[in-house]
Amino acid sequence: MANRQSAVVAQHDRMSPWPFRLAVMLSCVTFPLISIGGLVTSYDAGMAVPDWPNTYGYNLLLYPYTTWLFGPWDLFLEHGHRLLGVLAGLFAMGLVAVTYRVDSRRPARIATVAALVAVTAQGGLGGARVLLDDRQLAMLHGCVGPAFFAYCVALASCLSPKWQSLVPKLLGAHSDRKMLLDQKLRRFTLLLALLFYVQLVLGAQLRHIPVTAGPWLFNMSLLLHLTNAVLLTLSVTVLGLSLRRGRVEPELRPVVSAMAVLLCIQLVLGVTTWVVKYGWPYWFAQSLFAASFTVHAKSMTQTGIATLHMAVGSLILAAAVLTHVQTRQLLRAQLRNAPRQTTPGMVK
Amino acid sequence: MAVVLGVCMAGCYRVSDTFPPNRVYTVRLERAFRQPFEPQRQAELRKLMTDLFGGPDQPRVPAEVRSLGLFNDEWLAAAAGPVGSDKGGRSKGLFREHCAVCHGVSGDGVGPVAFVLKPYPRDFRRGLFKFKATPKGAKPTHEDLRRIIETGIPGTGMPSYRVLPAWEIDALAQYVTYLSVRGEVERGLIDYAAGELRPDQPIVDEDATDEEQATQRRVISDLVSTVARSWRQSESLVTPVRPPKSGRDRNASIARGRELFLGDVANCVKCHGPSALGDGQTTDYDDWAKEIDPTDSIALAEYCRSGALGPRPIQPRNLRLGIYHGGGRPEDLYRRIHNGIDGTPMPAALIKAPNSPPSTKGLTEDDIWCLVDYISSLPGTSETNSSP
Repeated sequence: MANRQSAVVAQHDRMSPWPFRLAVMLSCVTFPLISIGGLVTSYDAGMAVPDWPNTYGYNLLLYPYTTWLFGPWDLFLEHGHRLLGVLAGLFAMGLVAVTYRVDSRRPARIATVAALVAVTAQGGLGGARVLLDDRQLAMLHGCVGPAFFAYCVALASCLSPKWQSLVPKLLGAHSDRKMLLDQKLRRFTLLLALLFYVQLVLGAQLRHIPVTAGPWLFNMSLLLHLTNAVLLTLSVTVLGLSLRRGRVEPELRPVVSAMAVLLCIQLVLGVTTWVVKYGWPYWFAQSLFAASFTVHAKSMTQTGIATLHMAVGSLILAAAVLTHVQTRQLLRAQLRNAPRQTTPGMVK
Repeated sequence: MAVVLGVCMAGCYRVSDTFPPNRVYTVRLERAFRQPFEPQRQAELRKLMTDLFGGPDQPRVPAEVRSLGLFNDEWLAAAAGPVGSDKGGRSKGLFREHCAVCHGVSGDGVGPVAFVLKPYPRDFRRGLFKFKATPKGAKPTHEDLRRIIETGIPGTGMPSYRVLPAWEIDALAQYVTYLSVRGEVERGLIDYAAGELRPDQPIVDEDATDEEQATQRRVISDLVSTVARSWRQSESLVTPVRPPKSGRDRNASIARGRELFLGDVANCVKCHGPSALGDGQTTDYDDWAKEIDPTDSIALAEYCRSGALGPRPIQPRNLRLGIYHGGGRPEDLYRRIHNGIDGTPMPAALIKAPNSPPSTKGLTEDDIWCLVDYISSLPGTSETNSSP
């Protein structure tokens, strides 16, 4: 068994780092891309450029940079968002090309092609939002962005030679440890990632609420957003406590800790977003701080906090997806290393 | 798949070419006259309103209003329509970008966010506005509207749009006027149809003789003119604020103000309470809520089905906070007391001439300044210091 483990480690050590590096770069471009997309929503700049894929008749890449940089703020945001989208597309193409060249694993190749298809579809969705001037499409575009970012982060983890070689090494080093990873944890992290995504979709619904919608849609979305926030806080607390009690692999500690910290920040940002957008809830009406508070529409504080809330939400989603993916990887590696016997409830 | 899903979703919640009708008021009159508004009449009303005022994307100004110079076409075009901007960064669709999410596309105060805000966003269609420099019952001036948009209302969901260029605030204020004029004309037509016509009688009968049609159209034209003129003349109705006498004893003024506050003439104590915490009469409603008879639970259900928000009792101001929705300058407080607050139980002061005998009921201008002094002295003091 030790020989087989060494072989796996050696194989992973020989993996080219370039697909991983490109996946990281793609993730690094995608995060500002979706954050600026969030700013586009906060400033209602989605229709600042009425044509697509051109920008005011110019080829997107040939639009005069002086007009872009020193022109109106909403044009700066929207055109900048599009340019970053192009950059993300180029990185996705590079990732596919390099992966096909250096990585013979079929799943890795398919995963990178999927990233390219996703980024192209997301660009098309953004274009459709502009051409049809449709707020529901803007919402959909806003929901796909963070999902794509989480996918890129997960892909980078899967393509990481260090993590891939670390998994069997870790398991080898802890071969006498009780098997901690089980189906429950795998399902729990999957459910957590799904709940975080639902939370993000509900948030996008609140941000992109159509002006013709009845109050019921906003009320329902808000209620579900708040209920889900409580559920997610409890879930992450449970995961954190499991980690502390040693029921979760310690190798997941960085990502789970990051998720917990980000969630704490996100809760504060959520409350602040509401206050800077709609004022203090009426329960505080008799307090001087609430009575004297005036909402400042489109101020840097309002747009900045709302965008940050959306951006941190995307980071949490990525952390949740990463937790699930790494849990799966550890579980699979553990199974590979386990003695060849049937163990109930194990992933094949 | 995302693209396909997206394209399928496109068009949901798209803004219609026509403004939604005032169903709540229609239901009110249906109940009052015990006669349903036939779908045919509703369709005719909608068409008439669209012919007169256009739709959310392309507003129109009736000739009667245009002749009064109430609207600037450029501002109106910038405030209406879908959100966007031109190459130079000049914004379009300002109302939909900044206001419609709370006030609704037609200014009915039932935007998607309305329910979670307290107080509810204003329904512009009644032409009633709380914070203005004109007497109770008069329309606000353009400056009144733009001031509220620019400064916002502290402690409520109404934000300050200080970051917007001055012309955008002007355009928004004017669009609010447009929606109000439109809403008032619509209410007038509903009144006319429900009160003056037989259920099967059209407002403008295409089969009638030319003379009859001209008479019918004159009714509409008179209605539009009346509403538009009431807005036009608001600028000349601003309540003048003469400064208080110089050299007055402020302590004595505060003492007199307190006496008036608690007394029968001003009777502020009735709603604001003896300690001015806003804990007096708290079961009354504003006029927007009274539109739907808040005490009749059966009628209420029908109103809510037609799009009204459930009524909430109005909360008298806690004057000890020192934060006033309509502005905290002495002249703002003076006008609030002098003119009252439209659409609310806050009445206009009964004004008496300066040299009237003491037995004459009412307040003089000096009395109002005394009340302003008293109210201004309340923040930061404990309740016991000034309670009776």
